[in-house]
Amino acid sequence: MNLISITFILFILILLVIYYSVKKQYQWLVLLLGSLVFYIWTNPFSIIFLLISIVSTWWLMKTPTRMRWYLTLIINLGLIIVFRYSVYFGVQDIIVPLGISFYTFMTLGYAHSVYEKKIQPCENLFHYALYISYFPQIVEGPIGIYQKMMPQLLQPHPFEMTHIQSGAYRCLKGLFKKLVIAGRLSYYVDTVYANPSAEGGLTLFIATFFYTIELYADFSGYMDIACGISEMLGIKLKENFIRPYFSKTIQEFWRRWHISLNEWFKEHLMMPAVTSGWNRKLSKLLGKVFTKAKKGTLRTIFPLILVWMVTGIWHGAEAVYIGWGLYYSVIMLFSVCTTAYMKKIRQKLHWNEELPGIRIFQVARTYFIVLIGEVLFRAHTLSDAFYIYKTMFTNTRLHLASITAALKPFGNGNQAVASLIIIVLLIGGLFFVELRQEMNEQAFTKHRAIYAGLMLVVVALFSVTGQSSFMYQQF
Amino acid sequence: MKRTIATLLIAIGMIAAIIILKNAYSCEIPIGSRGIKAAIDSGNLDLLFIGSSSFRSNIDMEMMDEAYQGKAFIIAYGGNQLVTSQIQYEEICTRSEHQYKQIVFELDPLMLTEDVDITDSRIIWDLSWNGKQKLWSKFQESNSADLSTTYEYFVTSGMDDLITYPITNPIYKARYYKGAKTGETPSSGRDYLESEPFDLSDKRTIDSQERALRELILQCQENNQSILFLETPHYHRLFEDPVYQKYRKAFCDILDEYEIPYILSDMVAFDPQNPDYFEDMGHMSTTGREEYTENLIQVLDQNETQE
Repeated sequence: MNLISITFILFILILLVIYYSVKKQYQWLVLLLGSLVFYIWTNPFSIIFLLISIVSTWWLMKTPTRMRWYLTLIINLGLIIVFRYSVYFGVQDIIVPLGISFYTFMTLGYAHSVYEKKIQPCENLFHYALYISYFPQIVEGPIGIYQKMMPQLLQPHPFEMTHIQSGAYRCLKGLFKKLVIAGRLSYYVDTVYANPSAEGGLTLFIATFFYTIELYADFSGYMDIACGISEMLGIKLKENFIRPYFSKTIQEFWRRWHISLNEWFKEHLMMPAVTSGWNRKLSKLLGKVFTKAKKGTLRTIFPLILVWMVTGIWHGAEAVYIGWGLYYSVIMLFSVCTTAYMKKIRQKLHWNEELPGIRIFQVARTYFIVLIGEVLFRAHTLSDAFYIYKTMFTNTRLHLASITAALKPFGNGNQAVASLIIIVLLIGGLFFVELRQEMNEQAFTKHRAIYAGLMLVVVALFSVTGQSSFMYQQF
Repeated sequence: MKRTIATLLIAIGMIAAIIILKNAYSCEIPIGSRGIKAAIDSGNLDLLFIGSSSFRSNIDMEMMDEAYQGKAFIIAYGGNQLVTSQIQYEEICTRSEHQYKQIVFELDPLMLTEDVDITDSRIIWDLSWNGKQKLWSKFQESNSADLSTTYEYFVTSGMDDLITYPITNPIYKARYYKGAKTGETPSSGRDYLESEPFDLSDKRTIDSQERALRELILQCQENNQSILFLETPHYHRLFEDPVYQKYRKAFCDILDEYEIPYILSDMVAFDPQNPDYFEDMGHMSTTGREEYTENLIQVLDQNETQE
């Protein structure tokens, strides 16, 4: 059952009616059953693995010991390795259970928190099963934090029209991003990246620029739909994106992009790695080489590399993802190591960060770093990625022939101009809305009904069909 | 709450109005100098071509103008099929009061093997409400009408052009002359043409296309409309393919059955092995187009003399 389908709309409508009709103490049970129906409907075979993960983790972490924590790790990591990575060892035609990456993060996050005694183990297996299988978040996240999610899932939720309204508005926003913006951009990006060697630098620059927008519109569009549906049920999911392309630094970018994953890594990988014995020893060794470096800086170097390499490999074991992880390891390390020097330089130059010109420069610089990284993320092979870099930086010309060539991937020559105009308008519109919200969080809330009406018209008349699956579903 | 419902109703009303108006009146909005409306507005014609982008790229209308005193026009759409050509002919019959001395339909053998589909949304745009419904029923007959196609067909098709009309229409005007391409088209070169992949191995006759061809012929015969089928040259690699030849024969057999005249590509003096003449397997460069049109006019003249 896809989130963008008539079946799903019917499913939600029926679920909402039942959810708000039953006695409040049974609402969580309706959610659990609904989540299982959604899961079985989407991918019946993989329910077995979801149940194995839920039951084993819940049972093992009831009385958390080191051995049980390790067993939980082995079972859950074992499942994800078998399904996500066996293809790299020659196993073909394996069906990856729906949302395995995301629910594994949740089970491991829960188990780690219990093991670290940050939370009490969940006493009720069915409550725990609901936390893991809650349908709006199981496919692509956000990765819910147990302490925040569980009370919400279990508490009674009286029917409130405002929840339905704001949830529906959020869903509409998600559909707009996915069906109108990402759907249109994907055609251009897919065409260019399928055979980059046939394209010039300008076309590759445009395709990569479009890809950054497509990825954001697709992924945050899904989050809007997931959060919107959850809001209708009275449950607030964690925000996963806060206008990331307006970040002034790359660290800020990663605090605003895929927030739940980055926080998960910070809490369950980065922090344990920083305080681990092996890191202390390694950073001491580094300290002997870099005598002037601060202790804190040295301690973050290896965990940072670890986190970024794991993030890369989590997306896939292809060389491009490992390259992407390496790229961010280098960028983040450079940033951590030079922060103090940069601060001094800024002070000497009397650099006022509040000046609009400076802010624009910082935002543009951060976006450019992201854009360069996205080439690795989108290219099919490393050699494709290097070819794209080479062509982008050595063969980008702004003359008539290259502009005409850049129009070609929009499709049939006759409709290329219309497509270009629409895409420029849509990206401009999205930029304007996000910029307004960046300057004032409350922007657009006053006249939300009017914006919802406009969005409905645009979604109804300008959606691209055949775009029902989301990009992050593959991870 | 009241405000939300009111906004929602207004939005739904706007959507419905736009969809209804677009479907009912799009055929009255001209698109530069191409399409059914532009053809009808051209008045009585000696030659009216109806076909795909091959006609658009392979026939030079300025040369045709000289030969036919400006009384020729091409109705061509990217990927136009037999099913759509038949509906387009019906549309001309219903909407036009003018006389067409001869209508030239495209004889592309592979048209017999195409699944019913629309690759150029202009095909839908150019049809009246009745035409749209008829084409839709053809879609349904061939099981191509799922929900997503329905939505695309009646709702989103042509929307981009509609919203950008003030900018795009002048571009269309500049790009086409009487339905044919005007810009310079260079050859893609021998290397490209010799390596461009194509695969005809899984081709099979599609019943709906064959039925449409027969229906089209019968309708023209009923209306006493003089017609001719024209095969424009393909680059020799495609032309010599046995599958292509097989469907070429099948197409000609049907035409022979009804005693319909046709001009095959090898009946016009033209070298399909010359890479300078082609942009790809089926579309010509400017040089090829001019060479071919000049010789085609002679063959058309001979045909007329014989008749």
